[in-house]
Amino acid sequence: MGKIVIDESRCKACYLCIDECPKKLIKKSEKTNKLGDHLVEFCDPNNECLGCAMCATRCPDLAICEVYKG
Amino acid sequence: MAVQTFKLPKSLKEGAKFSFCPGCDHGVAVRILAEVLDELGLTENTITATSIGCSVTIYDFINVDAIEAPHGRALAEATGIKRARPDKCVFTYQGDGDFASIGIGESLHCALRGENITAICINNTTYGMTGGQLGPTTLLGQKTTTSPTGRNVEYYGYPIKIAEHIALCDGTAYSARVSLDTVANIKKAKQAIKKAFEIQMKGLGFTFIEILSTCPTNWKMTPEQAHDRVRNQMMEVFKPGVYKDITAEKTV
Repeated sequence: MGKIVIDESRCKACYLCIDECPKKLIKKSEKTNKLGDHLVEFCDPNNECLGCAMCATRCPDLAICEVYKG
Repeated sequence: MAVQTFKLPKSLKEGAKFSFCPGCDHGVAVRILAEVLDELGLTENTITATSIGCSVTIYDFINVDAIEAPHGRALAEATGIKRARPDKCVFTYQGDGDFASIGIGESLHCALRGENITAICINNTTYGMTGGQLGPTTLLGQKTTTSPTGRNVEYYGYPIKIAEHIALCDGTAYSARVSLDTVANIKKAKQAIKKAFEIQMKGLGFTFIEILSTCPTNWKMTPEQAHDRVRNQMMEVFKPGVYKDITAEKTV
């Protein structure tokens, strides 16, 4: 069971992480940043996250700042 | 017990927030550079000369000493730094307009002199900061604000292939072109940067990394479409690979 930490103050809503996740656990959130763009949120009800850190490697803005595995 | 598989590199300033546009690969390039400095333990021993363009803001994000150079002259300044303090790790972080247009003289002659410096050049085929004008690496047919009908050979000439040109210089120890379009390529890019720094610290000569990057704002694309363009159009012309590596074993 893995986990990621998203720093919402850094997210610029480019959505690159959504396509990168092999389990599709990241989705658009209802929350918006100050430009009105929808942020992303981590949604893992079945504990599927692998902790592979592909989302964090892809994120250009350091918004996915911590990834845990196991 | 949970194992942390990713954390932000210590070489980045605490609380750093990148000022790049959404989806710009500059952020990835700065982060992998900071990770390499962490892994090689060079953070306290590094000086950088920064350029003009979107790459200028690197000193706001990285915990190393920096000197701002006039447009295109980062490698000339880095030469001075390295000759005064040969024990320090010196690198420059430049865009293609800075490195290959206004600074092509400084850049090529730095490679020809074989200075022990690492140069990192971000190639996004346009002048990003000033609003998307035609740059030295703009692809044939690409529309920019100063080539509204697309770049044609008769009027604008051909784009420059920087990594190949640098590889032809005798002072160059390592020249490679990498891309940031997929996670696998990001990891390869990081290895290439690491190798360049290792060669520099051994004092073998000039090391150069060209990074194919995106500019979603000026290409008028979504970040995802911009990565497709890197894969389908840019990598056809600017082929990734290692063009020179004097540490590799000779096969002939």
